[in-house]
Amino acid sequence: MVKGFFRSIWTFLQHLLERILIAFWRRAAPIKVAEPGYSTVLADNLQMHMNLVMPLADQTAVGRARAAQAIAANIDELFTGLNNVGTVHFARFDLIGGNLCMYSVFDGDFRAYIRDFICVFGSVFDSLLGLVADPPPSPSALNPEAFIDWIHRHDSFQIPRDLTSLFPEEKNLENLSRDLVLLLDEKPNVQLGRFSGYPGVSVAQIRHGAGLGW
Amino acid sequence: MSNNLNFADVQGNILRGYGKQYVRHLVLTVANASAARRWLSEATSGDESAAPQITNAEPWTERRRTCVNVGITRDGLAAFGVPAASLNSFPHEFVAGMAARNTLLGDTGPSDPSKWKEEWKGDGVHLMISVYADDAQDRTATADRILAARGAFHLRAALDGDGFPGGVVHFGYRDSISQPQFYGVHDPDRRRDDQPFVEIGAMLLGHATPIENLRWEVPKPNVLGYNGCFNAFRVLEQQVVEFEAFLSECADALIKNPLSEVVLPPGEEAKWDPPMSRHAALREVVAAKMLGRWRNGVPLALSPITPSPQPAITDAGLNNYGYSSDPDGQRCPIGSHMRRSNPRDAKTVQRNTNHARRLVRRGIPYGPQYDPAHPVKAERGLLGSFMCASLTGQFEAIQYDWTNLGLQDPRITGSNDPILGNNDPLFSRFSFPVGDGMVKFRGFPHFVHTKGGAYLFQPSMSAIRHLATLSGGGTVNRR
Ligand code: HEM
Repeated sequence: MVKGFFRSIWTFLQHLLERILIAFWRRAAPIKVAEPGYSTVLADNLQMHMNLVMPLADQTAVGRARAAQAIAANIDELFTGLNNVGTVHFARFDLIGGNLCMYSVFDGDFRAYIRDFICVFGSVFDSLLGLVADPPPSPSALNPEAFIDWIHRHDSFQIPRDLTSLFPEEKNLENLSRDLVLLLDEKPNVQLGRFSGYPGVSVAQIRHGAGLGW
Repeated sequence: MSNNLNFADVQGNILRGYGKQYVRHLVLTVANASAARRWLSEATSGDESAAPQITNAEPWTERRRTCVNVGITRDGLAAFGVPAASLNSFPHEFVAGMAARNTLLGDTGPSDPSKWKEEWKGDGVHLMISVYADDAQDRTATADRILAARGAFHLRAALDGDGFPGGVVHFGYRDSISQPQFYGVHDPDRRRDDQPFVEIGAMLLGHATPIENLRWEVPKPNVLGYNGCFNAFRVLEQQVVEFEAFLSECADALIKNPLSEVVLPPGEEAKWDPPMSRHAALREVVAAKMLGRWRNGVPLALSPITPSPQPAITDAGLNNYGYSSDPDGQRCPIGSHMRRSNPRDAKTVQRNTNHARRLVRRGIPYGPQYDPAHPVKAERGLLGSFMCASLTGQFEAIQYDWTNLGLQDPRITGSNDPILGNNDPLFSRFSFPVGDGMVKFRGFPHFVHTKGGAYLFQPSMSAIRHLATLSGGGTVNRR
């Protein structure tokens, strides 16, 4: 009991010190993070990932149940829409903690993907976003750029394979861990790595090759 | 469909072309914000003696000798005094600028912005004033009057484009045949093709777009954004000597390939107008397969084995075709420049995009016309304006998704446009089906290098007058 009490004081102090240190680092040596960009290797622009994490307005079991029901009620329309976008390999809807998440793998440009998504099932998505804290301006079809920017902000940051490429202005490799702490302090949700069993192939190429029609 | 468009409020080079032979694009920095704003005010005053007037889209009662239009960059808007909140209401790609979008656009290697011409480097590209004229003297006279505007602008470069006879561009193709036709602008009874008419919101902000229910946001304030249009202006250097050499190499290979007898039945070339040797004709076949039209403009979709079909196709008919009856690209290859840039009615992976990414193209060649009898290496290219209401939704979507990546059809995904693409000889490939076989070419370079360019906003006439009333500005307040 007493041990537990001291441990939680210690953890609290540790977190406080971390916050002070992070604030100090942020002032002393702010980081410049390279946004993941497009690749000059064409095939690397296929099978892109979107990991959308959207905090729910009501994160209680009741609020989460409401979100689960809303997805269930719209699932057919969502799946038909995703099929019609044409460039989507996979898409999943999950509830993780108090967040409604949509994870998908798609081909090509992120903004083109979301724009096609607005055209095909924007209205269904608009109704789902009513459940989310701080939703984007609605309807998405009349605010496409703002909607795309909002999705971009809620898409988990993707950490590249080569950590050094994240911080183009960092000259000293010993500072990498500190830079990473600052980055993760800014971005709570990140994607750490991805694997593909068939890299460099589009969904339409897979469908075409497998005789599924595209 | 009526759209109640006020033609007097829209710049004139967007919805229709002027058909002028001579163009001078003045690439400018605002040297003195007040003087520059005064020029905007004078150029929209209706008083030709005060300044050459910016041409609007009202139908002409008589032909104008010269026309003037203006496109402004994000830095230019700042220099005219547009406040930061308003600048940030513009789409992010416009705010970032063309050079920052280089990887997506394929501007790498020799096209990398670090290798662009000096006038396009740095933060000082503020605006481009374009002068269109029927003769070179009028062009110079009008451009000189603009430059004389009492210290308003600093001239970074004057880029001259001189049209070649017959509307031909470098690489020898006839250009400016396909353009979108707009509801409320063009006459549906005199339509030139079966492609759907396009809503003006594909070009002008604040109007219905070809995508059901979707409207692009109008940058704030409304007076600045409404009826405006974006213009991706590109200086595209063309490697004409290399392109012609490539056609010869392909013809050398094709002549030995039995499929050449299917793609061009022996003796067919003698019926062409003018008749050609087999080798010369096969060069033309390859040039046509790469573009989608024979070099004289006749589309492969309508005439797959001859550039001189009988009866001849009239000018009005040159655009009247689709690809749905040619699903495998036997006539017009799926990977050709035109079919990539506008798949018309072909099946596409992104099912709702077929007619949603239309661009207005205003291009004019620069540099001396190539003469195959005297092949001289010189700098040549295209001064191209690609206009649309959304740079990401139209220009970049075409350039990236379709031209560079070939996402629209699994049979070309991962290959680049054979004419335009940033092709690396190690990976480049272009193929087209011939009956059950496939003709394949590999190892060709990048025939078009970007040498500069900018994302410009072409404001409405009211917006130009609004800019003239602002204050401040002058310095470049880059992010
Ligand atoms: C030096 C570079 C280029 C050359 C030589 C070139 C040449 C041509 C030619 C000869 C045509 C056919 C003429 C016509 O139908 O009007 C054409 C059509 C077209 N080009 Fe290009 N082009 C170039 C760059 C571009 C770029 C950068 C884009 C856009 C990203 C583009 C988009 C188009 C489109 C949309 C069409 C019309 C297709 C249709 O409606 O069927 N071009 N081009």
